Amino acid sequence: MPTSILGPYTRTILTGAAIIGLLLFSFTYARVSVWIEVQPFFEWMETTWFGVIGKTWGAAFAFIEAIHLIGLALLGGSVIVGEGRILGFVFTDIPARTIIDRAHKVFFWALMTLLATGVFMACGVAMKIYYLPVYWYKMLALGTGILFHFCIRKPLLQRELEKINPWVTKAVAISSLMIWFTVAATGRWIGFSG
Amino acid sequence: MLNELVYNFAVWLDDTRWSAMLHESYYMYNWVESTHVLTLMVSLGMLFLIDLRMLGYALPDVPASKIADRLSIPMLVGFTIMFITGISLFYAVPVRSVQSVWFRTKMVLLVVCAVNAYLFHNRMNESVSSWDNDARAPSRIRLGAGLSLGFWTIVVICGRFIAYDWFDCDYEQSAFIEFFAGCVDGQERF
Repeated sequence: MPTSILGPYTRTILTGAAIIGLLLFSFTYARVSVWIEVQPFFEWMETTWFGVIGKTWGAAFAFIEAIHLIGLALLGGSVIVGEGRILGFVFTDIPARTIIDRAHKVFFWALMTLLATGVFMACGVAMKIYYLPVYWYKMLALGTGILFHFCIRKPLLQRELEKINPWVTKAVAISSLMIWFTVAATGRWIGFSG
Repeated sequence: MLNELVYNFAVWLDDTRWSAMLHESYYMYNWVESTHVLTLMVSLGMLFLIDLRMLGYALPDVPASKIADRLSIPMLVGFTIMFITGISLFYAVPVRSVQSVWFRTKMVLLVVCAVNAYLFHNRMNESVSSWDNDARAPSRIRLGAGLSLGFWTIVVICGRFIAYDWFDCDYEQSAFIEFFAGCVDGQERF
C-alpha cells in the first residue's frame, strides 16, 4: 500500500509526482498530440456566448480584464500575508493558524474571481491564445499553483504547525510565492505576445 | 487655452530623447508596464485587505489597528513603485496620455482616493481603541472602506481602458469627448 510506504506525506509526494509528471509532459513532444486534439475545443470556445461577447464588445472584454486584475491584486495580497506570516515577516504576534486560515478564505474567492474572468477572456481570444506558447506556460503554472495550494500546502498546514519542521513550512511558503508570481508574470506576458 | 498648454507640454516631453528611447524599447517598456501591473498585488492587495477587514469580510478576528499598521508599509512600498513606473509610462507616451479621457479620469480619482485615505486614516485613529477587536468597523469607517474599494476599482478599470483607442483625438469624436479629452484644433501629434 502506498500509504504505508510513503507515510504521512503520501498526498504531498503523490501530488509532487503529478506536478513533475505534468512538467515533463509539457516540455516534451508528447504535448503536441494533445495540443492538436484540443483545437476544436478552442474553436468552440469562440462560438460560446462569452466568446461572442468578448469579441464583439471591446468594452466588455476590457471591463472583465480589469476585474481580473482586481482578483489578481486580492490573490497577491492574500498570498503575501499568508506566506509572510509563515516566513515570520508579518503579524508575528498573531497565531499563524489565524492568519493562514483567514488569508486562505480571501485567496479562495480571489482565485474564483480570476478563474471566472479568465474563462471569459479566454473565450474572447481563444484561437489567439491557442497558438501562444506563453498561454500554455501560464496554464501550466496555474495548474501547478492550484495543485500545490490545495493538495500540498493546505493539507500540510492543517496539521499542528508546531509539529512540522519549520524548514518545511518555509519551503512551502517560498514555493507558493514563486508559483503565484510566475502565474501573474506569465499572465502579463500574454498581453505582450501575439 | 489650458488644453493647448497641456498639449504643448506633452509634445515637449515627447520630443525628449529618453521618452523616445523608453517608448521604442520593446523590452524596457514592457518591463516597466509589467512592474506597474504586477505591483498591484502588493499595493492594492494590501489596501483591499485593510478595506475588507473594516467591512468584516477578511481577517475579522485580527485587530483592525494591527491590520492597518502592519499592511500599510508594504502597501506604501507598492504604491511608490507604482507611482515611479506610472510616471515612466506617462513619460513614454505623453501626448496620447494627457488626451486620454481614461487617464484624466484616473488622475482625478487618484486625488479622490488620496483624500479618502487621509480622512479614513484620521477617523480610524480617533476611534479605533473602542472597536479594534470588533469583526466590523463602525459605519463611518465602513463607508470610507467601501468608498476606497469602489474608487480603486474604477481606477483599475480606467487604467485598463487607457490601452484602448475608442476616444482618441485622432478619430472623429463628439464635442463632449473632444472637450473632455482636451483635443486641440489642428494638432499634428497624437
